[in-house]
Amino acid sequence: MDGRQLLEDDRERVGFDWSTLGSVKPAELGIRFAFGAAIALVAGVAGAVAGPRFGGLFLAFPAVLPATLTLIEKKEGMTKAWADASGGVLGALGLGAFAFTAMLLRWNPVGALLLALVAWAAVSAGLYFLFRVTGLFLRQDRLVSKAGS
Amino acid sequence: MTISSVLLKAVVGGLAVVAFSLVGHAGRPKRFAGLFSAAPSVAVASLAITAVVKGADATVPYAQGMVFGTAGMVAYCLVSLYLIQRLHALIGSILAWLAWLLVAGGLYLALGR
Repeated sequence: MDGRQLLEDDRERVGFDWSTLGSVKPAELGIRFAFGAAIALVAGVAGAVAGPRFGGLFLAFPAVLPATLTLIEKKEGMTKAWADASGGVLGALGLGAFAFTAMLLRWNPVGALLLALVAWAAVSAGLYFLFRVTGLFLRQDRLVSKAGS
Repeated sequence: MTISSVLLKAVVGGLAVVAFSLVGHAGRPKRFAGLFSAAPSVAVASLAITAVVKGADATVPYAQGMVFGTAGMVAYCLVSLYLIQRLHALIGSILAWLAWLLVAGGLYLALGR
C-alpha cells in the first residue's frame, strides 16, 4: 500500500465524474450482474428452503466485492483497491442502518424502503465525511498497516 | 415463494448491483466510491419483490437476518483490508469471505434461529 498515493487520492474533491463511465467494459458489467443475480437467487432459495431469516443473511453478502476489487487492482493498482475496501467498511456500517430501518417494512413498504436507503446514504456518507475531516482515515491506515506488517 | 418470483429477484438484483457499481465507478475519491461497494443493491430488489409477492409482513424476517449479514459484511471489509496488502485483491477478497461466514453465521446460530 502506497501511503503517499492514498493521501493524494484522499485530497481529491468528493463528487462524481460521469465521463469515466465510458471506459466501463460490457464484460465488467456482465460479471457484476452475474454475481448480483446469483446472490439474489441464493438469498431467495435459502429463504424458501431454510427460512426467511436465514435467507436475509445473504442480502448483505459481499458477492460482488472480489470482482470489483480485483478489477480496480488490475486497472489502478493495489492502493486504490485497498482504498475502495476501506470505504466499504463505512458503507457496510450504513448497511446496518438500512437493515434496521427496513424492519419498518410492515408499517409502509414503499416508505420504509425509501427511508432505509436514506439511512444507508446518511450513515455511510456521514461516517465518510467524519473520517475525512477528523483524520480518522490516517489512524485507520496506520493501524491496519501495522497489523499487516 | 414461486420460481418466477425468485428469478425476478435475481434479474432485478443483478440490475441493481450494476446500477450501484456504475455510481461507485464514477465516485471520487476512491474511499468515497468504496461506500457504493457496500450498497444495499440486492437487498432493495429482494425486499421490494418480497413485499409485492408475499406482503409487507413477510419482509421483516428477511430484514432481521440481514442485520446479522451486515455484521459479517463489516468484518469482511476489515479483514479484506488486512489480506489485500498481503495476498493482493483476488485472493485476499475471496479469503475474507470466511470472516463473513464466521461472523454472520455465528450470530445467526447464536441469536437468529
